[in-house]
Amino acid sequence: MEHTVKAFDEELDAITAELARMGGLAEAEVADSIRAIGEGDPGLAASVIARDARLDALEREIERRAIRLIALRQPVADDLRHTVSAMKISSNLERIGDLAKNIAKRAVVIVESEPLTPLTSSIERMGELVSARLKTVLDALATREVELAVTVWRNDHEIDEHYDTIFRELLTYMMGDPRTIAACAHLLFVAKNLERIGDHATNIAEILHFEITGVELTEERPKSDALMKAEA
Amino acid sequence: MSDISTLAEPPLPPESGPAPKIAVRNLDFFYGARRALKSVSVDFPANRTTAIIGPSGCGKSTLLRSLNRIYDLYPGQRATGEVGFEGRNLLDPDISVTELRREIGMVFQKPTPFPLSIRDNVAFALKHFERLSPAALNDRVEGALRQAALWDEVKDKLNASALGLSGGQQQRLSIARTLAVRPQVILLDEPTSALDPISTLRIEELLDNLVREVTVIIVTHNLQQAARCSHRTLFMYEGELIEAGETGALFTSPAERRTSDYISGRFG
Repeated sequence: MEHTVKAFDEELDAITAELARMGGLAEAEVADSIRAIGEGDPGLAASVIARDARLDALEREIERRAIRLIALRQPVADDLRHTVSAMKISSNLERIGDLAKNIAKRAVVIVESEPLTPLTSSIERMGELVSARLKTVLDALATREVELAVTVWRNDHEIDEHYDTIFRELLTYMMGDPRTIAACAHLLFVAKNLERIGDHATNIAEILHFEITGVELTEERPKSDALMKAEA
Repeated sequence: MSDISTLAEPPLPPESGPAPKIAVRNLDFFYGARRALKSVSVDFPANRTTAIIGPSGCGKSTLLRSLNRIYDLYPGQRATGEVGFEGRNLLDPDISVTELRREIGMVFQKPTPFPLSIRDNVAFALKHFERLSPAALNDRVEGALRQAALWDEVKDKLNASALGLSGGQQQRLSIARTLAVRPQVILLDEPTSALDPISTLRIEELLDNLVREVTVIIVTHNLQQAARCSHRTLFMYEGELIEAGETGALFTSPAERRTSDYISGRFG
Protein backbone atom coordinates (compact mmCIF):
# COMPACT_ATOMS: atom_id res chain seq x y z
CA MET A 1 0.00 0.00 0.00
CA GLU A 2 1.25 3.49 -0.82
CA HIS A 3 1.90 6.16 1.77
CA THR A 4 -0.66 8.91 2.19
CA VAL A 5 2.25 11.32 1.69
CA LYS A 6 3.59 10.53 -1.82
CA ALA A 7 6.96 12.17 -1.22
CA PHE A 8 7.67 9.54 1.46
CA ASP A 9 7.34 6.78 -1.18
CA GLU A 10 9.55 8.71 -3.58
CA GLU A 11 12.28 9.09 -0.99
CA LEU A 12 12.15 5.40 -0.04
CA ASP A 13 12.17 4.41 -3.73
CA ALA A 14 15.20 6.61 -4.37
CA ILE A 15 17.13 4.79 -1.64
CA THR A 16 16.06 1.41 -3.07
CA ALA A 17 17.19 2.44 -6.57
CA GLU A 18 20.61 3.66 -5.39
CA LEU A 19 21.11 0.45 -3.45
CA ALA A 20 20.28 -1.62 -6.55
CA ARG A 21 22.80 0.44 -8.52
CA MET A 22 25.44 -0.19 -5.83
CA GLY A 23 24.70 -3.91 -5.96
CA GLY A 24 25.21 -3.99 -9.72
CA LEU A 25 28.50 -2.09 -9.51
CA ALA A 26 29.85 -4.26 -6.67
CA GLU A 27 28.91 -7.44 -8.50
CA ALA A 28 30.70 -6.27 -11.67
CA GLU A 29 33.80 -5.20 -9.71
CA VAL A 30 34.10 -8.65 -8.12
CA ALA A 31 33.58 -10.52 -11.43
CA ASP A 32 36.05 -8.28 -13.32
CA SER A 33 38.75 -8.50 -10.65
CA ILE A 34 38.64 -12.30 -10.90
CA ARG A 35 38.62 -12.15 -14.70
CA ALA A 36 41.67 -9.86 -14.58
CA ILE A 37 43.59 -12.62 -12.81
CA GLY A 38 42.23 -15.45 -14.97
CA GLU A 39 42.84 -13.68 -18.26
CA GLY A 40 45.96 -11.84 -17.14
CA ASP A 41 44.44 -8.50 -18.09
CA PRO A 42 46.05 -5.55 -16.25
CA GLY A 43 43.82 -3.08 -18.13
CA LEU A 44 40.70 -4.68 -16.68
CA ALA A 45 42.30 -4.65 -13.21
CA ALA A 46 43.00 -0.92 -13.60
CA SER A 47 39.40 -0.26 -14.55
CA VAL A 48 38.16 -2.05 -11.39
CA ILE A 49 40.46 0.13 -9.28
CA ALA A 50 39.17 3.27 -10.98
CA ARG A 51 35.48 2.30 -10.66
CA ASP A 52 35.55 1.73 -6.92
CA ALA A 53 35.28 5.45 -6.13
CA ARG A 54 31.76 5.41 -7.60
CA LEU A 55 30.73 2.77 -5.06
CA ASP A 56 32.12 4.84 -2.19
CA ALA A 57 30.20 7.88 -3.39
CA LEU A 58 26.95 5.92 -3.65
CA GLU A 59 27.37 4.62 -0.10
CA ARG A 60 27.70 8.19 1.20
CA GLU A 61 24.67 9.20 -0.86
CA ILE A 62 22.51 6.40 0.58
CA GLU A 63 23.63 7.24 4.11
CA ARG A 64 22.80 10.91 3.54
CA ARG A 65 19.34 10.09 2.17
CA ALA A 66 18.60 7.60 4.95
CA ILE A 67 19.60 10.00 7.74
CA ARG A 68 17.48 12.72 6.16
CA LEU A 69 14.50 10.36 5.85
CA ILE A 70 14.81 9.29 9.51
CA ALA A 71 15.02 12.92 10.63
CA LEU A 72 12.13 14.21 8.52
CA ARG A 73 9.73 11.27 8.22
CA GLN A 74 10.30 9.22 11.38
CA PRO A 75 9.86 5.88 9.60
CA VAL A 76 8.49 2.95 11.60
CA ALA A 77 7.80 -0.74 10.97
CA ASP A 78 8.66 -1.89 7.38
CA ASP A 79 9.85 1.60 6.44
CA LEU A 80 12.21 1.79 9.41
CA ARG A 81 13.59 -1.68 8.76
CA HIS A 82 14.02 -0.83 5.07
CA THR A 83 15.86 2.42 5.79
CA VAL A 84 18.23 0.98 8.39
CA SER A 85 18.77 -2.08 6.26
CA ALA A 86 19.69 0.07 3.22
CA MET A 87 22.37 1.82 5.28
CA LYS A 88 23.80 -1.47 6.51
CA ILE A 89 23.67 -3.21 3.14
CA SER A 90 25.31 -0.25 1.41
CA SER A 91 28.22 -0.36 3.83
CA ASN A 92 28.62 -4.10 3.17
CA LEU A 93 28.59 -3.43 -0.59
CA GLU A 94 31.15 -0.68 -0.16
CA ARG A 95 33.43 -3.15 1.69
CA ILE A 96 32.90 -5.70 -1.10
CA GLY A 97 34.05 -3.03 -3.54
CA ASP A 98 37.18 -2.37 -1.45
CA LEU A 99 38.00 -6.07 -1.40
CA ALA A 100 37.48 -6.34 -5.19
CA LYS A 101 39.73 -3.32 -5.66
CA ASN A 102 42.37 -5.03 -3.51
CA ILE A 103 42.09 -8.18 -5.65
CA ALA A 104 42.52 -6.03 -8.76
CA LYS A 105 45.70 -4.43 -7.34
CA ARG A 106 47.11 -7.87 -6.65
CA ALA A 107 46.04 -9.01 -10.13
CA VAL A 108 48.41 -6.41 -11.62
CA VAL A 109 51.36 -7.97 -9.69
CA ILE A 110 50.30 -11.57 -10.30
CA VAL A 111 49.96 -10.98 -14.05
CA GLU A 112 53.58 -9.76 -14.18
CA SER A 113 55.00 -12.91 -12.52
CA GLU A 114 55.45 -16.49 -13.82
CA PRO A 115 52.13 -18.05 -14.88
CA LEU A 116 50.67 -20.32 -12.16
CA THR A 117 47.83 -21.73 -14.24
CA PRO A 118 46.47 -24.49 -11.96
CA LEU A 119 46.36 -22.05 -9.04
CA THR A 120 44.75 -19.19 -10.90
CA SER A 121 42.11 -21.70 -12.10
CA SER A 122 41.35 -22.64 -8.48
CA ILE A 123 41.05 -18.96 -7.62
CA GLU A 124 38.77 -18.43 -10.61
CA ARG A 125 36.52 -21.29 -9.49
CA MET A 126 36.31 -19.83 -6.00
CA GLY A 127 35.67 -16.41 -7.54
CA GLU A 128 32.80 -17.82 -9.60
CA LEU A 129 31.27 -19.37 -6.49
CA VAL A 130 31.55 -16.10 -4.56
CA SER A 131 30.15 -14.13 -7.52
CA ALA A 132 27.22 -16.54 -7.72
CA ARG A 133 26.48 -16.08 -3.99
CA LEU A 134 26.65 -12.34 -4.35
CA LYS A 135 24.35 -12.47 -7.35
CA THR A 136 21.83 -14.60 -5.45
CA VAL A 137 21.73 -12.26 -2.47
CA LEU A 138 21.37 -9.25 -4.77
CA ASP A 139 18.52 -11.05 -6.55
CA ALA A 140 16.92 -11.53 -3.13
CA LEU A 141 17.38 -7.80 -2.52
CA ALA A 142 15.64 -6.96 -5.80
CA THR A 143 12.83 -9.51 -5.63
CA ARG A 144 12.36 -9.50 -1.81
CA GLU A 145 12.45 -13.33 -1.89
CA VAL A 146 13.58 -14.13 1.60
CA GLU A 147 14.20 -17.79 0.76
CA LEU A 148 16.99 -16.80 -1.66
CA ALA A 149 18.68 -14.88 1.16
CA VAL A 150 18.38 -17.87 3.48
CA THR A 151 20.05 -20.10 0.85
CA VAL A 152 23.07 -17.79 0.73
CA TRP A 153 23.23 -17.63 4.50
CA ARG A 154 23.04 -21.40 4.84
CA ASN A 155 25.69 -22.19 2.21
CA ASP A 156 28.46 -19.87 3.38
CA HIS A 157 30.48 -22.90 4.52
CA GLU A 158 31.08 -23.92 0.87
CA ILE A 159 33.12 -20.77 0.34
CA ASP A 160 35.03 -21.41 3.56
CA GLU A 161 35.83 -24.93 2.39
CA HIS A 162 37.08 -23.62 -0.95
CA TYR A 163 39.32 -21.20 0.90
CA ASP A 164 40.74 -24.00 3.04
CA THR A 165 41.56 -26.05 -0.07
CA ILE A 166 43.28 -23.15 -1.84
CA PHE A 167 45.21 -22.34 1.34
CA ARG A 168 46.64 -25.88 1.38
CA GLU A 169 47.34 -25.87 -2.37
CA LEU A 170 49.26 -22.60 -2.09
CA LEU A 171 51.34 -23.88 0.84
CA THR A 172 52.32 -26.95 -1.19
CA TYR A 173 53.39 -24.76 -4.14
CA MET A 174 55.42 -22.38 -2.05
CA MET A 175 57.25 -25.24 -0.34
CA GLY A 176 57.87 -26.92 -3.68
CA ASP A 177 59.25 -23.86 -5.49
CA PRO A 178 60.31 -20.80 -3.44
CA ARG A 179 60.33 -18.65 -6.63
CA THR A 180 56.54 -18.77 -6.60
CA ILE A 181 56.30 -17.39 -3.04
CA ALA A 182 55.65 -13.75 -4.01
CA ALA A 183 52.83 -14.58 -6.45
CA CYS A 184 51.41 -17.27 -4.17
CA ALA A 185 51.31 -14.85 -1.23
CA HIS A 186 49.28 -12.47 -3.37
CA LEU A 187 46.96 -15.30 -4.41
CA LEU A 188 46.55 -16.23 -0.75
CA PHE A 189 45.31 -12.69 -0.04
CA VAL A 190 43.07 -12.86 -3.09
CA ALA A 191 41.51 -16.06 -1.71
CA LYS A 192 41.12 -14.41 1.72
CA ASN A 193 39.46 -11.39 0.11
CA LEU A 194 37.07 -13.66 -1.76
CA GLU A 195 36.24 -15.44 1.46
CA ARG A 196 35.47 -12.10 3.08
CA ILE A 197 33.30 -11.04 0.15
CA GLY A 198 31.37 -14.25 0.86
CA ASP A 199 31.02 -13.16 4.50
CA HIS A 200 29.65 -9.80 3.41
CA ALA A 201 27.14 -11.59 1.15
CA THR A 202 26.09 -13.60 4.20
CA ASN A 203 25.77 -10.39 6.25
CA ILE A 204 23.54 -8.91 3.56
CA ALA A 205 21.42 -12.09 3.65
CA GLU A 206 20.98 -11.69 7.44
CA ILE A 207 20.12 -7.98 7.15
CA LEU A 208 17.60 -8.72 4.38
CA HIS A 209 15.99 -11.49 6.38
CA PHE A 210 15.34 -9.11 9.28
CA GLU A 211 14.19 -6.38 6.93
CA ILE A 212 11.64 -8.59 5.18
CA THR A 213 10.40 -10.72 8.07
CA GLY A 214 11.10 -8.58 11.15
CA VAL A 215 12.78 -11.63 12.70
CA GLU A 216 16.52 -12.16 13.16
CA LEU A 217 18.27 -15.16 11.63
CA THR A 218 19.73 -16.76 14.73
CA GLU A 219 19.81 -20.46 14.01
CA GLU A 220 23.31 -22.06 14.21
CA ARG A 221 24.98 -21.91 10.83
CA PRO A 222 27.26 -24.77 9.64
CA LYS A 223 30.89 -23.63 10.08
CA SER A 224 34.02 -25.04 8.50
CA ASP A 225 36.89 -25.61 10.91
CA ALA A 226 39.24 -27.23 8.36
CA LEU A 227 41.42 -24.12 8.38
CA MET A 228 41.91 -24.25 12.12
CA LYS A 229 43.24 -27.78 11.71
CA ALA A 230 45.46 -26.70 8.81
CA GLU A 231 46.96 -23.85 10.82
CA ALA A 232 47.48 -25.96 13.94
CA MET B 1 33.48 11.96 37.99
CA SER B 2 29.90 10.94 38.48
CA ASP B 3 29.12 7.46 39.64
CA ILE B 4 27.43 5.55 36.85
CA SER B 5 24.95 3.99 39.26
CA THR B 6 23.53 7.40 40.14
CA LEU B 7 22.89 8.09 36.46
CA ALA B 8 20.84 4.97 35.91
CA GLU B 9 17.12 5.25 36.38
CA PRO B 10 15.68 3.21 39.23
CA PRO B 11 14.08 0.10 37.79
CA LEU B 12 10.32 0.00 37.36
CA PRO B 13 8.46 -2.16 39.85
CA PRO B 14 7.88 -5.59 38.31
CA GLU B 15 4.64 -6.20 36.45
CA SER B 16 2.27 -7.70 38.94
CA GLY B 17 2.66 -11.25 37.66
CA PRO B 18 -0.22 -12.87 35.89
CA ALA B 19 -2.82 -10.52 37.44
CA PRO B 20 -3.12 -7.34 35.35
CA LYS B 21 -4.40 -4.10 36.88
CA ILE B 22 -7.39 -4.09 34.57
CA ALA B 23 -8.56 -7.13 32.59
CA VAL B 24 -11.07 -6.44 29.81
CA ARG B 25 -13.00 -9.43 28.48
CA ASN B 26 -15.42 -9.54 25.54
CA LEU B 27 -16.25 -5.88 25.87
CA ASP B 28 -18.93 -4.57 23.51
CA PHE B 29 -20.02 -0.97 23.47
CA PHE B 30 -23.08 0.56 21.89
CA TYR B 31 -23.93 4.15 21.01
CA GLY B 32 -27.62 3.48 20.60
CA ALA B 33 -27.72 0.77 17.94
CA ARG B 34 -24.18 1.35 16.69
CA ARG B 35 -21.67 -1.18 17.99
CA ALA B 36 -18.47 0.79 18.64
CA LEU B 37 -16.45 -1.93 20.37
CA LYS B 38 -16.53 -5.50 19.11
CA SER B 39 -15.68 -8.09 21.72
CA VAL B 40 -12.46 -6.48 22.93
CA SER B 41 -10.32 -8.51 25.33
CA VAL B 42 -7.08 -7.05 26.65
CA ASP B 43 -5.01 -6.79 29.84
CA PHE B 44 -3.57 -3.55 31.21
CA PRO B 45 -0.49 -4.44 33.28
CA ALA B 46 0.08 -2.60 36.56
CA ASN B 47 2.78 0.11 36.73
CA ARG B 48 3.07 0.31 32.98
CA THR B 49 1.98 2.91 30.45
CA THR B 50 -0.29 1.53 27.77
CA ALA B 51 -0.98 3.64 24.68
CA ILE B 52 -4.07 3.11 22.55
CA ILE B 53 -3.73 4.18 18.92
CA GLY B 54 -5.87 3.94 15.80
CA PRO B 55 -7.65 6.12 13.24
CA SER B 56 -10.55 8.37 14.24
CA GLY B 57 -13.66 6.39 15.08
CA CYS B 58 -11.74 3.15 15.78
CA GLY B 59 -13.05 2.92 19.33
CA LYS B 60 -9.94 3.94 21.25
CA SER B 61 -11.61 6.70 23.25
CA THR B 62 -14.65 4.47 23.73
CA LEU B 63 -12.47 1.78 25.26
CA LEU B 64 -10.88 4.35 27.56
CA ARG B 65 -14.27 5.76 28.56
CA SER B 66 -15.50 2.26 29.39
CA LEU B 67 -12.79 1.80 31.98
CA ASN B 68 -14.30 4.30 34.43
CA ARG B 69 -17.82 4.39 33.04
CA ILE B 70 -17.75 8.02 32.06
CA TYR B 71 -20.26 6.97 29.39
CA ASP B 72 -22.85 6.52 32.19
CA LEU B 73 -23.37 10.26 31.95
CA TYR B 74 -24.86 9.90 28.48
CA PRO B 75 -28.20 8.23 27.75
CA GLY B 76 -28.28 5.53 25.06
CA GLN B 77 -24.69 4.44 25.69
CA ARG B 78 -24.08 1.02 27.16
CA ALA B 79 -21.35 -1.56 27.57
CA THR B 80 -21.55 -5.34 27.94
CA GLY B 81 -18.87 -7.83 28.85
CA GLU B 82 -16.39 -7.56 31.69
CA VAL B 83 -13.93 -4.95 32.93
CA GLY B 84 -12.13 -6.72 35.78
CA PHE B 85 -10.53 -4.51 38.45
CA GLU B 86 -9.73 -5.57 42.02
CA GLY B 87 -11.79 -8.71 41.66
CA ARG B 88 -14.94 -6.89 40.53
CA ASN B 89 -16.60 -6.30 37.18
CA LEU B 90 -16.74 -2.52 36.80
CA LEU B 91 -19.73 -2.79 34.46
CA ASP B 92 -21.76 -4.23 37.33
CA PRO B 93 -24.63 -1.79 38.11
CA ASP B 94 -23.89 -2.11 41.86
CA ILE B 95 -20.53 -0.43 41.46
CA SER B 96 -20.41 3.11 42.87
CA VAL B 97 -19.19 5.19 39.94
CA THR B 98 -18.02 7.95 42.27
CA GLU B 99 -15.76 5.52 44.14
CA LEU B 100 -14.75 3.96 40.82
CA ARG B 101 -13.65 7.31 39.37
CA ARG B 102 -11.61 7.94 42.46
CA GLU B 103 -9.69 4.69 41.84
CA ILE B 104 -9.55 5.21 38.09
CA GLY B 105 -9.12 8.92 37.35
CA MET B 106 -9.39 10.62 33.99
CA VAL B 107 -7.70 13.54 32.27
CA PHE B 108 -9.29 15.00 29.15
CA GLN B 109 -8.03 16.51 25.92
CA LYS B 110 -8.71 20.07 27.01
CA PRO B 111 -7.50 21.19 30.42
CA THR B 112 -10.46 21.46 32.81
CA PRO B 113 -9.54 24.05 35.47
CA PHE B 114 -12.39 25.08 37.73
CA PRO B 115 -12.82 28.85 38.21
CA LEU B 116 -11.20 28.55 41.63
CA SER B 117 -7.76 29.08 43.10
CA ILE B 118 -4.97 26.68 42.16
CA ARG B 119 -5.10 25.21 45.68
CA ASP B 120 -8.87 24.70 45.62
CA ASN B 121 -8.71 23.05 42.20
CA VAL B 122 -6.46 20.36 43.61
CA ALA B 123 -8.29 20.15 46.98
CA PHE B 124 -11.71 19.93 45.30
CA ALA B 125 -12.12 16.16 45.09
CA LEU B 126 -10.01 15.58 48.19
CA LYS B 127 -12.49 17.53 50.32
CA HIS B 128 -15.26 15.45 48.84
CA PHE B 129 -13.66 12.09 49.61
CA GLU B 130 -11.65 12.65 52.80
CA ARG B 131 -11.87 14.61 56.04
CA LEU B 132 -8.45 16.13 56.43
CA SER B 133 -7.02 18.75 58.78
CA PRO B 134 -5.98 21.98 57.01
CA ALA B 135 -2.30 21.01 57.43
CA ALA B 136 -2.88 17.53 56.04
CA LEU B 137 -4.88 19.00 53.16
CA ASN B 138 -2.03 21.37 52.31
CA ASP B 139 0.41 18.47 52.36
CA ARG B 140 -1.74 16.50 49.97
CA VAL B 141 -2.14 19.50 47.63
CA GLU B 142 1.62 20.04 47.61
CA GLY B 143 2.24 16.32 47.03
CA ALA B 144 -0.13 16.19 44.07
CA LEU B 145 1.32 19.38 42.54
CA ARG B 146 4.84 17.96 42.93
CA GLN B 147 3.78 14.68 41.30
CA ALA B 148 2.31 16.65 38.44
CA ALA B 149 5.59 18.61 38.08
CA LEU B 150 3.80 21.90 38.68
CA TRP B 151 4.76 22.75 42.27
CA ASP B 152 7.83 24.86 41.53
CA GLU B 153 5.88 27.04 39.12
CA VAL B 154 2.85 27.70 41.38
CA LYS B 155 4.04 27.38 44.98
CA ASP B 156 4.09 31.18 45.43
CA LYS B 157 0.62 31.75 43.98
CA LEU B 158 -1.55 28.91 45.27
CA ASN B 159 -4.41 31.34 45.93
CA ALA B 160 -4.32 32.81 42.42
CA SER B 161 -6.97 31.75 39.93
CA ALA B 162 -6.21 28.59 37.99
CA LEU B 163 -7.57 30.31 34.87
CA GLY B 164 -4.43 32.49 34.80
CA LEU B 165 -2.18 29.50 34.12
CA SER B 166 -0.88 28.61 30.65
CA GLY B 167 -2.47 25.70 28.75
CA GLY B 168 0.35 23.32 29.65
CA GLN B 169 0.16 24.35 33.31
CA GLN B 170 -3.63 23.95 33.33
CA GLN B 171 -3.25 20.43 31.95
CA ARG B 172 -0.72 19.55 34.66
CA LEU B 173 -3.14 21.06 37.20
CA SER B 174 -5.86 18.75 35.86
CA ILE B 175 -3.47 15.85 36.34
CA ALA B 176 -2.64 17.04 39.88
CA ARG B 177 -6.35 17.16 40.71
CA THR B 178 -6.77 13.61 39.45
CA LEU B 179 -3.73 12.45 41.42
CA ALA B 180 -4.73 14.16 44.68
CA VAL B 181 -7.21 11.42 45.56
CA ARG B 182 -4.49 8.80 44.98
CA PRO B 183 -6.01 6.75 42.16
CA GLN B 184 -4.56 3.41 41.11
CA VAL B 185 -5.08 4.06 37.41
CA ILE B 186 -5.15 7.25 35.38
CA LEU B 187 -6.76 7.45 31.97
CA LEU B 188 -5.68 10.21 29.60
CA ASP B 189 -7.61 11.06 26.45
CA GLU B 190 -5.35 13.00 24.05
CA PRO B 191 -3.89 14.94 26.98
CA THR B 192 -1.36 16.94 24.95
CA SER B 193 -3.14 17.57 21.65
CA ALA B 194 -3.75 21.20 22.59
CA LEU B 195 -0.25 21.80 23.95
CA ASP B 196 3.02 23.09 22.49
CA PRO B 197 5.93 20.63 22.07
CA ILE B 198 7.74 21.56 25.29
CA SER B 199 4.57 21.34 27.42
CA THR B 200 3.89 18.00 25.72
CA LEU B 201 7.32 16.67 26.66
CA ARG B 202 6.85 17.89 30.26
CA ILE B 203 3.63 15.88 30.51
CA GLU B 204 5.31 12.83 29.01
CA GLU B 205 8.17 13.15 31.50
CA LEU B 206 5.73 13.42 34.38
CA LEU B 207 3.84 10.32 33.16
CA ASP B 208 7.14 8.48 33.00
CA ASN B 209 7.71 9.25 36.68
CA LEU B 210 4.10 8.60 37.73
CA VAL B 211 4.02 5.11 36.33
CA ARG B 212 6.12 3.87 39.25
CA GLU B 213 3.08 4.43 41.44
CA VAL B 214 0.06 4.23 39.15
CA THR B 215 -1.03 2.45 36.00
CA VAL B 216 -1.28 4.81 33.03
CA ILE B 217 -3.49 4.37 29.96
CA ILE B 218 -3.25 7.02 27.27
CA VAL B 219 -5.20 7.50 24.06
CA THR B 220 -3.23 9.45 21.50
CA HIS B 221 -3.35 10.39 17.82
CA ASN B 222 0.32 11.20 17.97
CA LEU B 223 2.11 7.99 17.03
CA GLN B 224 5.52 9.33 18.02
CA GLN B 225 4.04 10.11 21.44
CA ALA B 226 2.80 6.53 21.81
CA ALA B 227 6.26 5.29 20.77
CA ARG B 228 8.04 7.66 23.17
CA CYS B 229 6.03 7.29 26.31
CA SER B 230 4.42 3.85 26.49
CA HIS B 231 5.56 0.37 27.40
CA ARG B 232 2.74 -1.35 25.58
CA THR B 233 0.72 -0.22 22.59
CA LEU B 234 -2.74 -1.32 21.47
CA PHE B 235 -3.79 -0.75 17.87
CA MET B 236 -7.53 -0.55 17.26
CA TYR B 237 -9.42 -0.44 13.99
CA GLU B 238 -13.19 -0.28 13.40
CA GLY B 239 -14.02 -1.25 16.97
CA GLU B 240 -11.67 -4.21 17.11
CA LEU B 241 -8.39 -4.67 18.90
CA ILE B 242 -6.06 -5.58 16.03
CA GLU B 243 -2.76 -5.89 17.86
CA ALA B 244 -1.39 -5.44 21.37
CA GLY B 245 2.31 -5.63 22.02
CA GLU B 246 5.45 -4.26 23.58
CA THR B 247 5.86 -0.76 22.11
CA GLY B 248 9.38 -1.26 20.72
CA ALA B 249 8.35 -4.46 18.96
CA LEU B 250 5.09 -3.01 17.64
CA PHE B 251 6.84 -0.01 16.06
CA THR B 252 9.68 -2.02 14.50
CA SER B 253 8.10 -5.35 13.58
CA PRO B 254 4.32 -5.27 13.96
CA ALA B 255 2.68 -8.66 13.54
CA GLU B 256 -0.34 -7.42 11.60
CA ARG B 257 -0.33 -5.85 8.15
CA ARG B 258 -3.02 -3.32 9.19
CA THR B 259 -0.90 -2.17 12.13
CA SER B 260 2.09 -1.72 9.87
CA ASP B 261 0.11 0.20 7.24
CA TYR B 262 -1.42 2.49 9.86
CA ILE B 263 1.71 3.34 11.85
CA SER B 264 3.78 3.90 8.71
CA GLY B 265 1.22 6.38 7.38
CA ARG B 266 -0.41 4.33 4.63
CA PHE B 267 -3.99 4.89 5.83
CA GLY B 268 -5.95 6.48 8.63
